[in-house]
Amino acid sequence: MAGYGDVKLLRDDGLRLDGRKIDEMRPVTIEAGILPVADGSAMVTHGLNVAVAAVYGPMEAHPRKIQRQDRAVIDVRYNMAPFSTSDRIRPGFNRRSREISKVTAEALESVVLVERYPRSKIRVEIEILAAEAGTRCVGLTAAAVALADAGIPMRDLIVGVASGKVEGTVVLDLDKAEDNYGQADLPVGILPNTGEVAFLQMDGDLSPDEFNLAMEYNFKAAAEIHVIMVDALKRRYEGGEN
Amino acid sequence: MVELVPTLLRQELARLAESDARLDGRGQWDGREVDLEINCLYNAEGSAKVVMGKTIVYAGVKFELRTPWPDRPSEGSLMCSAELRPVAHRKYEPGPPSPESIELGRVVDRGIRESGCIDMESLCIVPGEKVWGVMIDIHVLSDGGNIFDACGLAAIAALRTAIVPAERFDVGEDYTLKVKGAPIMASFTRVGGRYVYDPSEEEELGGDERIHITLGDDGHLHSLQKGLRGVFTPAEFAEIFGVAHLRCAELRKLVALQEGN
Repeated sequence: MAGYGDVKLLRDDGLRLDGRKIDEMRPVTIEAGILPVADGSAMVTHGLNVAVAAVYGPMEAHPRKIQRQDRAVIDVRYNMAPFSTSDRIRPGFNRRSREISKVTAEALESVVLVERYPRSKIRVEIEILAAEAGTRCVGLTAAAVALADAGIPMRDLIVGVASGKVEGTVVLDLDKAEDNYGQADLPVGILPNTGEVAFLQMDGDLSPDEFNLAMEYNFKAAAEIHVIMVDALKRRYEGGEN
Repeated sequence: MVELVPTLLRQELARLAESDARLDGRGQWDGREVDLEINCLYNAEGSAKVVMGKTIVYAGVKFELRTPWPDRPSEGSLMCSAELRPVAHRKYEPGPPSPESIELGRVVDRGIRESGCIDMESLCIVPGEKVWGVMIDIHVLSDGGNIFDACGLAAIAALRTAIVPAERFDVGEDYTLKVKGAPIMASFTRVGGRYVYDPSEEEELGGDERIHITLGDDGHLHSLQKGLRGVFTPAEFAEIFGVAHLRCAELRKLVALQEGN
């Protein structure tokens, strides 16, 4: 990921191009229960990213070959809307969205008490309406809130966050320019109560020390986002409706 | 379940229809409250969100540079497509575009295209070589009934906010896309033996055929579509045609109101 030396991502005063500090994340808002026909749903905005997640089920798993005798399967579809990026995306699955769907499903299966629903399927639909770097993390966060909104028992929530490296400096929560021209990206899914990690990817170049610092930033951000997730779920159910 | 529920539902809807009532208390020609938001998506060159009852729809406009069709060297192109993704309802399955989503996209496309609200020649940059392709993508997030009207409204509202991204493509300065008028769709479904405007999810499940009417600012027809099994009489059409004029005018006012804000 070298060779972009001409793009300056850190200002002389040590702040980032959008004015954020090194360890400052973009603003996050979360709303639970935004889709009336889904069993559970959430919308997460993170910077300029907008992700919507819907949960349907648990329902009968078919085709039958996907059934598991001892647990539910989680069927995740991560999809970017055609208008979510600068250049239009042709509708339909591609290799990138298939991979993200797979690892997201595996992360969610690590927290949902899937043993409670043998032979069934829980559908999780993640739609990215606007993309500004970090959509897989925003989608993961939205999926976790939507599962909780659907009343599906979970060991913990999952928070999707990412840190990375720009101009040799580890920074929290890459924006679009930093993602395009930076040197590393480390998206993770953190269980905020247990401190475990259920989702992990990385690309670029990080030293062991840089990795440790990036993870430290990720845990800090996860704690902040966790508060917003819990607040969204409380707001949804405090009114006594549903 | 697919058979039993509609049978009971159909009986209930037929019973209600006798006293000209609807499940949610609306009158025969009443629509649900419509919430329209424009310019609501970063990265789309024009965008709109429509909420009608439990139905939620987004539309986004993107542009691309392309070579014109050989028989129309000085005209750009317009394409409108809709996706009924599994997010929108448990009844939608993943896979290639279904006949339903193709019909939906094409009916909305025809209404906008045939109204002439976009001057295709204004999308020409170099005749025979370079023109703009305008793409309206409609994303249904929640199907709570009557997605046709919601999609039609979101599509035209998004188109009317679009900025042509000429700078990004290195062909001059950005400018607002010129859109003349606002074609609006009104949809009717036969429920309990008679037509109702703006069917809900339950009314569609327990109803019969549907008719979609798209009208221009001058009240002229620009697209018609009859869908699903069933027949209607000319007198029935005349009645809903009259209602369509009223409802379309109201929604057109809503578009103007949002643009004024």
